[in-house]
Amino acid sequence: MTAPGRILVVEDDEMLRLALLEVLDDEGHEARAAAHGAEALEILDEWEPEVLVLDLMMPVMDAFEFREHQRRQGAAPGARILVLSAARDLDGAAHRLDADAYLAKPFGLDEMLTTVDRLLDDRRAGDAAAR
Amino acid sequence: MTETTDSTGAFADVPGLRGEVAFRLLVEAVQDYAIFLLGPDGRVLTWNLGAQRIKGYTAKEIIGQHFSRFYTPEDLEAGRPMTLLGWAAEYGRFEDEGWRVRKDGTRFWADVILTALRDEHGRPYAFAKITRDLTERRAAEERERMLLVEKEARAAAEEALRARDRFLSIASHELKTPAASLSLTVESLQRASASGRLDADRLAGGLARLATATDRLGRLVEELLDVSRLAAGRMAFRRDPTNLVAIVRDVVDRFTVADEQPRVTLGGRSDAWVSGDASRLDQVVTNLIDNAVKYSEPDSSIEVDVTHLDGGVLLAVRDRGFGLDEEASSRLFEAFGRGMNAEHIPGLGLGLFISHQIVERHEGRIEAIPRTDGPGSEFRVWLPAGSPG
Repeated sequence: MTAPGRILVVEDDEMLRLALLEVLDDEGHEARAAAHGAEALEILDEWEPEVLVLDLMMPVMDAFEFREHQRRQGAAPGARILVLSAARDLDGAAHRLDADAYLAKPFGLDEMLTTVDRLLDDRRAGDAAAR
Repeated sequence: MTETTDSTGAFADVPGLRGEVAFRLLVEAVQDYAIFLLGPDGRVLTWNLGAQRIKGYTAKEIIGQHFSRFYTPEDLEAGRPMTLLGWAAEYGRFEDEGWRVRKDGTRFWADVILTALRDEHGRPYAFAKITRDLTERRAAEERERMLLVEKEARAAAEEALRARDRFLSIASHELKTPAASLSLTVESLQRASASGRLDADRLAGGLARLATATDRLGRLVEELLDVSRLAAGRMAFRRDPTNLVAIVRDVVDRFTVADEQPRVTLGGRSDAWVSGDASRLDQVVTNLIDNAVKYSEPDSSIEVDVTHLDGGVLLAVRDRGFGLDEEASSRLFEAFGRGMNAEHIPGLGLGLFISHQIVERHEGRIEAIPRTDGPGSEFRVWLPAGSPG
């Protein structure tokens, strides 16, 4: 059983964003949300999540631009990346984003939560190895 | 070595070859050009090897015959041989390209130069005719043209495929996002219910999200069906006396959120009658205002007005939005023709295409123009006036 973690959801669709927050909250995670990349960067200024749940296509700043800024600024450097998308070439996009996992929309709740747990474990193992 | 300018000089030391003889031999020997003389009446006076090769007649067969036999029946009917001769007489020289007929009846594409030879009074006593067979070249040009046409058709087909692919990407994204909300919300409600954590608030919130997602899916499917109905010409239209202002007022009200400063303002006339399908016209107005809202900042104003113009009714929707992408403006009303600056805008990008079709079915016009009084765009719909119901 994975201990609850800090998760940032970056998703422009309001309904999906709220649904994600709710289910992550149900699991005891500390979840916050942003509607696009720029908003996410602001949150990263003051809070370091362990897992980033990223939508691909978003207004203002999409996932690709966000990752570029995030890496350049060194924000949440060890955070694991989970990409959620309806895009057809999800594999290629996830590779370009250097994502740790991806799920095609629509995805199952269990699948999503299991993936988040796996990424949290992975993140913590990476942290322990670094110490 | 000095260049020979005297036409007789070159052969001067060849015994028995006087200049004119040499020149005649030269002309006779040329194989690539038909070079011959016509009398003022159009009868053939001389013939060369080239003429024999191109046209198929021997000198014996053709000398003394009228040159009109080289022409097609269509040209003969139009009196073209003598017309050309007349022009050559008048202008001194005349060049023509066209089909000519060989002795065996086959046709070749000829380039013909007719030059009038005049006596001291300026009257033509003969015509020099030089003909080249350009059939090969013409065929090559024709092949090249066909290749170009084919290439263009292929490019158009490829662009249509790309547009369809873009559309499928958009459609899949647009359909899967609410589908993801639906499944996630249903599963989360089931979990909460199973674990006894489903309180009234949680249930109400979940149901509201489900309602929004199903509504959105329903509208997307409806839009796709509209396009398919329009493409198949199966969309039925009513023609009722309709007050466009009443429709616009309804739509504007729908865009006004309670307790918020209204973004969309309505001006102009209090009634303007057209003959049309109220629910389809509602769709057009909704599309235009929805676009204005989507393509501009959340606090910018949108002006809508209805006026009379040119025996019809003009609806104008003006926003302070991103404006029109010049390259996309021309394709704005095509299916899948949304602007490149619209990548992250939700929706299928079919609204303006559907609106255009609906307006056309009402014998009206729709256009998009950049605003002249600052940034933003103006969408206009003109419909023929109808009588009040």
